[in-house]
Amino acid sequence: MSSISTGAPVQLPSKPRDTFKLVVTTAFVVLFGWSAISVDLKWSRLLDAPADMYRLFKAMYSDIPWEELDRLAGLMWDSIAMAWVGTIMAAIFAVPLSFLAAENLVGRPIAWVTRQVFNVLRAVPEVILALLFVPMFGLTPMAGVLAIAVGSIGSLGKLFYEIIENIDSGPIEATDAVGAGRLQRLRWGVIPQVAPELTSFLLYRFEINIRASSVLGIVGAGGIGGVLADTVRFKEYGVAGLALIVVIVGTIIVDTISGAIRRRIVAGRTIDIGEAQMYAVDTGGLS
Amino acid sequence: MSDSPLRLPPKPKPSPWTVGLSLGMVVFTVVCARTVGFSFSGLVEDLGRTNPVAQGLVDISWGEMFSERSRRAFLETLQMAVIGTTAGAVVSLPIALWSTEVGNPYLIPRVLLRSFNNVVRAIPDLLWAGLFVLGVGIGALPGVLALFFFSMAVIVKLTADTLDGIDMGPIEAAKASGASHTQMLRTAVVPQILPAYSSYVLYDFELNLRASAVLGLVGAGGIGQRIDFFRGRGDWSKLWGLVLMFFLVVVVVEWLSVKIRRRLV
Amino acid sequence: MIRFDKASVTYPGGVVAMKDLDLEIGDGEFVVIVGLSGAGKSTLIRAINGLVPLTSGGLDVNGHDVPNLSAKGRRQLRAEVGMIFQGFNLVDRTTVLNNVLMGRLPRVPLWRTLIGKYPDEDIQIAAKALDRVEILDRAYVRATNLSGGQRQRVGIARALAQEPKIVLADEPVASLDPPTSHVVMKYLQQISRDLGITTIVNLHFLDLATAYADRIIGLRNGELVFDGPGSEADEHTFRDIYGRSLTADDTMAKQAAL
Ligand SMILES: Nc1ncnc2c1ncn2[C@@H]1O[C@H](COP(=O)(O)OP(=O)(O)OP(=O)(O)O)[C@@H](O)[C@H]1O
Ligand SMILES: [Mg+2]
Repeated sequence: MSSISTGAPVQLPSKPRDTFKLVVTTAFVVLFGWSAISVDLKWSRLLDAPADMYRLFKAMYSDIPWEELDRLAGLMWDSIAMAWVGTIMAAIFAVPLSFLAAENLVGRPIAWVTRQVFNVLRAVPEVILALLFVPMFGLTPMAGVLAIAVGSIGSLGKLFYEIIENIDSGPIEATDAVGAGRLQRLRWGVIPQVAPELTSFLLYRFEINIRASSVLGIVGAGGIGGVLADTVRFKEYGVAGLALIVVIVGTIIVDTISGAIRRRIVAGRTIDIGEAQMYAVDTGGLS
Repeated sequence: MSDSPLRLPPKPKPSPWTVGLSLGMVVFTVVCARTVGFSFSGLVEDLGRTNPVAQGLVDISWGEMFSERSRRAFLETLQMAVIGTTAGAVVSLPIALWSTEVGNPYLIPRVLLRSFNNVVRAIPDLLWAGLFVLGVGIGALPGVLALFFFSMAVIVKLTADTLDGIDMGPIEAAKASGASHTQMLRTAVVPQILPAYSSYVLYDFELNLRASAVLGLVGAGGIGQRIDFFRGRGDWSKLWGLVLMFFLVVVVVEWLSVKIRRRLV
Repeated sequence: MIRFDKASVTYPGGVVAMKDLDLEIGDGEFVVIVGLSGAGKSTLIRAINGLVPLTSGGLDVNGHDVPNLSAKGRRQLRAEVGMIFQGFNLVDRTTVLNNVLMGRLPRVPLWRTLIGKYPDEDIQIAAKALDRVEILDRAYVRATNLSGGQRQRVGIARALAQEPKIVLADEPVASLDPPTSHVVMKYLQQISRDLGITTIVNLHFLDLATAYADRIIGLRNGELVFDGPGSEADEHTFRDIYGRSLTADDTMAKQAAL
């Protein structure tokens, strides 16, 4: 009886070169090597980091000032409210703007310009927006709300215009071509269909925004972030530790509720809203 | 034929769930708006006033965009993002595998790992940075550590979700050919998720680059430290210069990253 | 040699998929199992490499006492038994060669698997397996870019790369068109003859079964209802196995003609 391994050796075809992979890998190795070597960072300090963090942990949690809990919970609530109002405001602005970004409603140039506006708004972190807004609107939650709103217009607008553009290629019979006909179809034919996805995306964006709004206080824009900045300045580790717990618990509670509603809304639905769905991958509040 | 008028079937009523949710959202919005002291007229009024920030944008400092110090701060931001993303990506793959059913048959460790990741995910980047600044002092190190944890949260979550939907066929084949669990993961699972995972890593790099620009606000190195410096001095024209430069960097990196990601999937 | 000894399988939920089965399959035999959907064909095949555990009775496969194997023993058994699937079960995103190398895993150290550097001998064995099914030229193509028949040939090569003593095939041609099905069946038959590999195939179509089987085993409700040479099986036998007269659905030639 013979075996597969006996017999004359056979010749494999020559291995194809994957240039793309090679270039990307090399570029990455060079970039990483350069970063690791030239970064201004004493790597030996990394070894002390666990001990340092343990000391910090003890300082924060050896004596928790529970009497501060009410105040901190109130501030966390402020952060949540800021995130929600900001999200709603963003949606209100994003809807009209998204009409200007849909190539099938306006011409290509206008759509292009509007999309670039969306991209600009998406690129700037909320904290930067907030520190620019604080001198304009004062040390109030409104500065934070606006930072959140402006920061979210980009991603919501992108979602909306993709839905609008999908109307033409969508399942709806295209009878009339321009203007009012399209808008009406959008209102009566499309919006009701995609309303669940829109709501779901809004909630998802809200989860992301909570993460942003709980730190905006660091630049004075309201919410629980302010406490963290202050306690750090005055070395009140106990309060900082409790505030951290409040942030974590508050965020997880909102995530859980919002996530449950989202799942319930889109359960069993598979309406194609274009690339936006991919964009709406559940980063669990990180974008 | 009878003369009685034609009757349409009753119009379907929106479900109580839809009504409840819509009402709930309206009420929640009103309550939140009162909490934050929302005032439309106040907003318009504030916008109408001249303010130093808008003035700074008009007198934007082009020189600050390319000054030696900003350049070094930008490089540090980039380096922090590269190191933080890489370190986070390396630990994320095994953690993601161990936190899903295909990769880890034991329920309790799996649930613990998922809960741990939920906690990590609930802490925003800037808070991580603040914590590490308190613990190990200011500089690039707390920034890198913060980005490491932040990356872990993002990549593990996205990869674990992808793992939940993979094709089980190759796993069965690997088991049937006598592979060990780790071998099965390496040959039947990892190749399936590798393109998605790489794309998540790049996406995370974009996030980190954006995040690492603000870490400096709490003392964790990078361009944020310089932004904070100009903020403290009220030098808005220089600050705008930095923001513009930062924006250009982000746009270029994002453009590259999107190109690569397109080819990956 | 494979010997079932009063072997039974009852699934959680109470379905009895194998009932007191006594069966012996000698080395190098080419056996086709037929039966209605739900008769227990897959269960029988999967019991042999321990993918489905027996609930009672004994099963000996080449000296492995299957019901009482340790996790390690089970891996050793599976290393000797190749398996071919209806859905091919290939990793689409990787190359044909990598898929075939999966068959070498039990013989390759873990660290080599992890970095993806296989020893040359193992690569040579994989190449020979691919050569057997005449698809060596596609070694570096991604599995997604192959046709169904080619994919199943890769599936066969993966099983062959294990240097198996037994090959199990669970409806290997159910997702293929008739001409391709014949190609795949011919490869299986040829390999069994050339290399003396015991081959057990589940088939849906009776004409395919009689065309290729040395021995046909008929199952009905988890019980053995026919066991004889392929040449002895005729319409009457199948009527017994199926408990009804045959229809066009049961033969590939007739179905293809529809
Ligand atoms: N994992 C399982 N859990 C519970 N019952 C099962 C399981 N797998 C199979 N069964 C049941 O056991 C019986 C035999 O199944 P088996 O898959 O062996 O049949 P089969 O002959 O291969 O059928 P088919 O031609 O449909 O593949 C069926 O009634 C089936 O429903
Ligand atoms: Mg079956």
